[in-house]
Amino acid sequence: MDGHDASTFFSGSDNEDDAMLVEQPDENASEPLFLDGSDDDKSPEPSEKAKGKRRADDAYDDAEYIDDDATESTGGDVPRASSVSDFDFSDHHSRHSSPDRDSPPPAKKQRIASPVRETAPILDAPTYIGEFIIPNAWSNISGKGIVKVNDTVQIRRPKLETKPKAKPKPNGLGNKQISIATMFKPQVTSAPTKKKADTIVRLYNKNGSEFGRLPQETSSWVAHLLDLKVVELRGKMTDCPERLSTGASLIVTVDVYMLPSAFSSRSVEPLKDDFMWKEGDETSEEINLRERKVALLKLFKQIGLKPRSGANVKLSKADTKLNVSKPKRKTEIVGDGEEVEVDDEEDLSKSDLDMIYQKAQRGDKDMKEMEPADTFAMTLRGYQKQALCWMQSLESGKMDVREASSMHPLWSEYTFPPREDPSTGVFDLTEEEKPFYFNPYSGELSLKFPKSERTCRGGILADEMGMGKTIMLSALIHTNLVSEEDKAAAAASALSTKTQQLRLNAAFKSVKRRSNRAPSATLIVAPTSLLSQWAEEMERSSKPGAVKVLVWHGQNRTDIEAAVNSGEDGDAEEILDSEDEEDCKPKKKKAPRIQIVITSYGVLVSEHARSEKGRSPIFDMEWLRVVLDEAHSCKNRASRTAKAVYALQARRRWAVTGTPIVNKLEDLFSLLRFINFKPWSDFTFYRSFITLPFLARDPKAIEIVQVILESILLRREKNMKDSDGKKIVDLPSKEIKILKLEFSMAERKIYDAIYVNVKKNFDSLQSKGLVGKNYTNLLAMLMRLRRAVLHPSLVLNHEEERAMSPAGDGIVDVQELLARLKGGNKDSSTSSQETESTNVFASDVLSKLNNDDEDSAECPICLDVMERPVIVSECMHKTCKDCILMYVATREEKGQEPACPTCAHAPIRVNQIIEVIKTEADAQDGDAEGPERQSEVMLRKNNFQSSTKIDALIEHLKRLRDQDPCFRAVVFSQFTTFMDLIQKALRREMFEDYRYDGTMDIRKRTVAINKFKEPSRSPKVLVISLKAGGVGLNLTNANHVFMMDCWWNAATENQAIDRVHRLGQEKTVYVTHFIINETIEGRILQIQKRKTAIVQEAFRGAAKKAEKDSVENFRIIFGED
Amino acid sequence: MAGLPKRIIKETERLMADPAPGITATPHDDNLRYFDVTIAGPDGSPFAAGNFRLELFLPEEYPMAPPKVRFLTKIYHPNIDKLGRICLDILKDKWSPALQIRTVLLSIQALLSSPNPDDPLATDVAKHYKEDEKDAQRVSQEWTQLYAK
Repeated sequence: MDGHDASTFFSGSDNEDDAMLVEQPDENASEPLFLDGSDDDKSPEPSEKAKGKRRADDAYDDAEYIDDDATESTGGDVPRASSVSDFDFSDHHSRHSSPDRDSPPPAKKQRIASPVRETAPILDAPTYIGEFIIPNAWSNISGKGIVKVNDTVQIRRPKLETKPKAKPKPNGLGNKQISIATMFKPQVTSAPTKKKADTIVRLYNKNGSEFGRLPQETSSWVAHLLDLKVVELRGKMTDCPERLSTGASLIVTVDVYMLPSAFSSRSVEPLKDDFMWKEGDETSEEINLRERKVALLKLFKQIGLKPRSGANVKLSKADTKLNVSKPKRKTEIVGDGEEVEVDDEEDLSKSDLDMIYQKAQRGDKDMKEMEPADTFAMTLRGYQKQALCWMQSLESGKMDVREASSMHPLWSEYTFPPREDPSTGVFDLTEEEKPFYFNPYSGELSLKFPKSERTCRGGILADEMGMGKTIMLSALIHTNLVSEEDKAAAAASALSTKTQQLRLNAAFKSVKRRSNRAPSATLIVAPTSLLSQWAEEMERSSKPGAVKVLVWHGQNRTDIEAAVNSGEDGDAEEILDSEDEEDCKPKKKKAPRIQIVITSYGVLVSEHARSEKGRSPIFDMEWLRVVLDEAHSCKNRASRTAKAVYALQARRRWAVTGTPIVNKLEDLFSLLRFINFKPWSDFTFYRSFITLPFLARDPKAIEIVQVILESILLRREKNMKDSDGKKIVDLPSKEIKILKLEFSMAERKIYDAIYVNVKKNFDSLQSKGLVGKNYTNLLAMLMRLRRAVLHPSLVLNHEEERAMSPAGDGIVDVQELLARLKGGNKDSSTSSQETESTNVFASDVLSKLNNDDEDSAECPICLDVMERPVIVSECMHKTCKDCILMYVATREEKGQEPACPTCAHAPIRVNQIIEVIKTEADAQDGDAEGPERQSEVMLRKNNFQSSTKIDALIEHLKRLRDQDPCFRAVVFSQFTTFMDLIQKALRREMFEDYRYDGTMDIRKRTVAINKFKEPSRSPKVLVISLKAGGVGLNLTNANHVFMMDCWWNAATENQAIDRVHRLGQEKTVYVTHFIINETIEGRILQIQKRKTAIVQEAFRGAAKKAEKDSVENFRIIFGED
Repeated sequence: MAGLPKRIIKETERLMADPAPGITATPHDDNLRYFDVTIAGPDGSPFAAGNFRLELFLPEEYPMAPPKVRFLTKIYHPNIDKLGRICLDILKDKWSPALQIRTVLLSIQALLSSPNPDDPLATDVAKHYKEDEKDAQRVSQEWTQLYAK
């Protein structure tokens, strides 16, 4: 190993060092104390040689020491792998020694740095970067004349394995050099453990004897810098007592010289690949890097060295604070939410996300605007123009809009300060300023300018929902129909290849053609539910004929493939050509060509599978631009969707999503990977620098994400203000009302029964400590509770319940009913006379149904006008529906037969109760129901079991109908089965209803939405599943939203509400949230509130004292779970 | 107690506005579910000319559950015990929410006219009525004069 290490140094040209080297090794051998761990086993031979020379060397000690450093640097620059024998040492030595011998003397006298610096270019010599004072070093020996003020002090690390021996001897030259070498080698692995053991840094006088140490707080980081050969410290005694005593305090001024070795070995990526990531664990290299990073940051702070440019200064400050405050808050915040979320500790709360975006949003107000191309038919708002400008600049590769520096985002630029004390006068002060670069995240140093690599153009458009992302992209497509450079190429090729067409069909694909033609089509990938919306928006936003859009999905798609497979030019062209037609000017020349292809993730996945086997047009061609809508769909990088997305070939890539980070930081990775944003698109890299640190609660992770996002993500929120202080989006207000309802008795009983059951299960699991293992099971139980809140039949599934909700609308014909009364009652126990009178009475009741005075009839139970009159079909007595139902329930509860309250006829059956429904005179809509239409009164069996929530909904809708006879309302639920019931209830009440859920195919969904949007003078209600319709849809024609159940986090619900409350909404939006008291929903609400509170806290801070708040936010993030 | 159900308010209003003959029912100011009731003994019965005081309480579940009614005035009646409790089917299992305070009180008044010793509550009185109705009626009359003035 030694030989190995040593060898590296000799490649350098500096002879003096070599000379020293020869001497040094012996010392190392004899005095292992001062060597780094790896260096110790020097071959015996040189050491012996050295012994003899030692005394002589001592005289030169000072000079040698410095020279030594110089050597190190040279050695470091050009590492050599071959092992070197002792002969080599001497060899070099002799060869080079002479010139160097000359320079030492001047150096000896003063600061020895000068000669080195003078001769060597920056890369080759230690370079001064600043000084600092250590006011509290202390001596560990006593005696006189050991050290004087202004004496040079050597600051070195002892060797670690053995305890310091009585008489320390000067060395340090060789060991340093050797350890430089070790930095390049994997063998270094053994070192860190030893290094960790202590961080003692010793002080030596010019004779090389130890007389003191650095204080612990300084040595803790200085030790790492010395061990890792990052800097060299040259001390000068500034103050000390004449006579030293043990523990006397010493003031030492330290000049810091950056060693070339600090820069030499580390370039960002390759090292990582080779050294760290393959193994996975934190390797010694990683430990070194980390220690070095921390130490360097401290050093820069000590010497007051500030970055000249680069994004990271402030961050590192925040970081130090954070380290202090981090522990306090740990237990408090995040925990709760996560218990509930399915995901583990990696989850990010909304407040975290806000903070992450915060940085990216910093300068957005003042971004430039840009007018879209004239083929774009809509008017953009200010912030949309800004987005256009930003996107345009990212596409064209100009980064100036957001002032993102072209430096690699993680690096900062520093300059070597001019040496303030040119005492020797030997070196050249006119030397131009040399910059160096430091990566405060990894601790890497570089002399080369670290460029941020952007091979792909594009970014993440992450504006909040309802800001018009679709429109912005459409504007971009219009404006950048073809990139400039592509245009030129296209023009050139246009002449020769005018008729050439690149087809989706791979069979026709030829390399030649492809290279000739620049891709001009944009591929938009969106969730299935949004395909038609995209198509519409695209059409709507462009002047007629300007852009042709093809939705490539379902049936359409098979058509294309048939055409493609048939291989007929004509066919293929007609449908496909579009994509690649050569001529790229926005205005069409001849056959309309398609510039925009819209497809779904699903199609993409299946096509991807196909392309792996053979070919798939969509993957074979190169796109000008690929846009992923709701790009978080591919957040899981292992998913097939993600893989398919990565496989697309495109020149420009855009990820559009309101939630680039859904739960975890890794969600972001997939987007970066898609955009091909290097180096973060490399998962190992991302994981090592972001995911793992984050899990380790290192706030740097968040900072890095912030930095990444700053350059490629644009996110505005609705409540942001523009530069004039106006809201960038001016939406009508939104009123959210949470309505707490009480269960009916029966519902309460059912719910409580289930609750008790679940609770028992949970308790027993908990007592056995099995909660974690039965997580899904518990979730399922919770789910049952949540369903029980909505409607009993969602949890009860026996015969009876089913009987209660048969299909059909339950409409009863009056005549039929009469007939049945006459005929059907014959076998009943009542006497014929009684039957007769009943029948007379019944006909009377029925015939009077239409009379107006019947309207004022009083319910015998509540003594009020019957709001929802029903007829007990057995005896034709009327009551209110609610009254009789309640009465029946009470009776049943007491174990009594339900009887008619008026005549005590028993038993009566609830599902035989007939509702009397009066249709309002102006009530509308012909197509819905049957023959009862002509009469204004309708009878309907009470065969629908409602629930508290459904009743509340219906009641609200009815009230709405009274106020606004053509209202539009949207009803959200998570459960399709509940949606069924809601719809049934709606139909019973003659509301025009539409449905939208995940089980419907896209065509049906489109139809539903379109019909819902169609203008009409009657009210319409759209029942939507929260999951399928929560994103993307634009339902601004409605302004009433009803949330039937609650989701775990308010964000999802808000997203759903934003379907209605978004750009284009002109009315106040009313949101009504139905909650049942004293059920699981109350608790869900608590959880939501808690989350929201955190978010608000974050917002408050973001406005004012950002720094303090980000600390606060960090606390939140890293709170114990 | 939540607000008074509309039904109770309505019933009270009607009782005040249009009292049943021989019957008064006045709610307490501090508890509108609690009524002071008087029933005049029906003519032709041993209780004639008597003025019987009762208390009537509407429970929380009313009208799903029957009101609770009790004689405060001592009365010699086979279906009313010495605590004033009344044996009347509509106050028990035959209760229907379609019945009201008024109908209940009228029923009680009717009960005074037609004691039913076959379904007794005060067994000794019932026995007396069965064995010697005349004598029993005399006692009833005496009690009425004694207590129900």
